Amino acid sequence: MTLPLLRLENVDKVFVKKTMMGKKSYIHAVRGITLDIQRGEALGIVGESGCGKSTLASLIIRLETLTRGKIILDGTDVTSLKEKDLRPLRRFVQIVFQDPYSSLSPRMTVEEILTEPLKIMTKLSKAEMHAKVTALLELVGMNASCLDRYPHEFSGGQRQRISIARALTTEPEILILDEPTSALDVSVQAQVLNLLNDLRQKLHLTYIFISHNLAVVKYISDRTAVMYAGQIVELGPSEKIMLEPLHPYTRELIAALPAVGKKLKPLTKAADMTENVAQERGCPYQNRCPLVDLRCKSERPPLAQFEPGHFLACWGVTKS
Amino acid sequence: MTFTERALKILKYNRLTAIGAGIVLLVILVGVFAPVIAPYDPNVIDVPHRLGAPALKHLFGTDEMGRDIFTRVLYGCRISVSVGIAIVCVSAFFGILFGSISGYAGGKVDNVIMSISDMVLSFPSMVLALALTASLGLGLFNTMLAVSIVKIPVYVRLVRGQVLSLKQRQYVKAARTFGAPPFWIIWKHIIPNSLTPIMVQMTLGLGDAILMAASMSFIGLGAQPPTPEWGAMVNSARAYAIDQWWYAAFPGLSILVTVVGFNLLGDGIRDILDPKSKQG
Repeated sequence: MTLPLLRLENVDKVFVKKTMMGKKSYIHAVRGITLDIQRGEALGIVGESGCGKSTLASLIIRLETLTRGKIILDGTDVTSLKEKDLRPLRRFVQIVFQDPYSSLSPRMTVEEILTEPLKIMTKLSKAEMHAKVTALLELVGMNASCLDRYPHEFSGGQRQRISIARALTTEPEILILDEPTSALDVSVQAQVLNLLNDLRQKLHLTYIFISHNLAVVKYISDRTAVMYAGQIVELGPSEKIMLEPLHPYTRELIAALPAVGKKLKPLTKAADMTENVAQERGCPYQNRCPLVDLRCKSERPPLAQFEPGHFLACWGVTKS
Repeated sequence: MTFTERALKILKYNRLTAIGAGIVLLVILVGVFAPVIAPYDPNVIDVPHRLGAPALKHLFGTDEMGRDIFTRVLYGCRISVSVGIAIVCVSAFFGILFGSISGYAGGKVDNVIMSISDMVLSFPSMVLALALTASLGLGLFNTMLAVSIVKIPVYVRLVRGQVLSLKQRQYVKAARTFGAPPFWIIWKHIIPNSLTPIMVQMTLGLGDAILMAASMSFIGLGAQPPTPEWGAMVNSARAYAIDQWWYAAFPGLSILVTVVGFNLLGDGIRDILDPKSKQG
C-alpha cells in the first residue's frame, strides 16, 4: 500500500471555555479521528451542523492547534511544527471557505487578492505574478478583465471561483473545500461543482470535501466519511454509503434527502455539542438510535472494518 | 455608489454636514493664508490704541497692548488647527499600534495594554493632561504631547475591537493559511478594513483635541504669551471681560465655531463612510 498523502492519527480537539465563575467547560468538537487520504482521491465528509467537520478542516489547515493526535503530511509529522517551520508546507494544503462574501477582502482588487499568497510565499516578479494570476482566472472560468475590480462587483458564484483561484495560486496538492457551494443557488452550485471536478482532473488535486449535503458529496467524492458528534461513524466508497448505508445515522441522513414527490420526514432531534458533553460514555448516537442496547450506553464503538474498504462504528449492525 | 457620489449626496441633503464642512474648510483656509489676509502683524504693540472697541480699522477691537485681535484670531486658526491635527495623528498612530498588537496577540500582552489604557481612560482626561504637562514642563509642545497621550486609549480600544472582529473574517483566516505573518495581516487586512471608524474618530477627536489644547492654554500651561493662541488669548482677556467684552468673545467664539464645525463634519463622514447608516 502506498503512503497516504495525508494521515490523521487519533486527532482530538477540545475547546475550553471559561465561564463567568471561573469554571471551565469543555467542548469536545473532534474526537479520535483517524483517517488516511490517498494522493489524488476525493474524500467527502458529511454530517449535520455542529458535528465538528469544519473544526476538522481548521485542524488540517492548522488554523487551530490539535489537543491530541498527529497530522502527517506526505510522510512529515507536522503536528508540532512551529508556525515558522510550517510556512513552507502551507502551500501544499489550501482551503476554500463556505461564505464567498466574507472570504475576500472588500478593500482589495481581484488582482491583489490573487497575488497575495504569491507575494507571501514566492519571489516572483510582478510580470510573472500577473501572468500566473491571469492564467488562473481563466482556469476557473473568468477572464482577465476582472483583475482590477473589487469583490463586491461579483456574484456569489463568481466570488467562489475567485476563492478557488486564490487557493490554487500556491499550486497545492490538497484542497480542502469547506461547504464551497452551500451558500450558492442550485444552478450556480452545479457550475461550481463541475468546475471542481474539472480542476481535479486537470491539476491532479486531492480533495477533502466537506458538506452537509450528501448528494453534493457523492457527486464530488470517491470516498465518504460520515461524522457525528466529532467522530467518524461510517467511512466507505461514496456509492456504497449512498446505496447501502449501514450506520443508523447514515440511514437517517439519506432518508432525509429531499426528492421530488417524496414527503419529508424530519430528522429526530438534532444533537448539539452541549448535549454530547454529558455523553462521555458510550456511543454518541445512543439517544437517537433505533438499534440502541445496553452495550451502546457503556462502551464507545470503534471505527472498524465491516467489509473491505467499508468502516463502521456501531455495535448494533452485524453481518447478516 | 462611489465614495464621491455618496459624499456629494450627503453634503446636498444633510445641511449640518455641509455647514460643518464649510466651517472646517474656512478655518483651514484662514489658517493657511493668515499672513495674507491679516491686516496687521499679530505681535506689533500699539499702546496708544489699547483696548479699542471693534471698529472698521480694528474689526474685533484691540487688546491691552493695542494688538489687533482680528489678526491674532486669524493666526490663532493656524495654531489651533495644526495643534489639533498633530494631537489626533499622534494619538491615532500609537492607538493603532497598541490596539492592533493588543487585539492580535491576545493573552497577557492584551491584558497589560488594556489595563493601562483602562487606567488612563478612567481618569478625567483634563486632570491627567494637566498632571502630565505639569511634569513635562510648560509650553505648547508639551501640552500637545500630554493631550496626545491622554487620547491614545480611545484609539486603542477602537482598534482592538476592530481587530477582534476582523480576525474572525474568512479572508483573514485565508491569509493565515498561506502563511501570512502577523504584521502582514495587520497591515494589509486589518488596518485598511478598520480605517472607516478610525477616520470618524479622528475627525470627531479633532474638535475635542482643539478644545483641550485651548483649555490647557487658558489655564496657562500651554501656549505662552505672546503666541496668538485662542485659549491663551481668552486667558489674558479675563481681566477685561466685563468692560472689554470683545477681547474674550472673539477668540472664544472661534474655539466654539471650530469645534462645532469639526464635530458636524465628523458625524457627516461617519454617514458617508458607512453606507448602511441613514442618509437624510
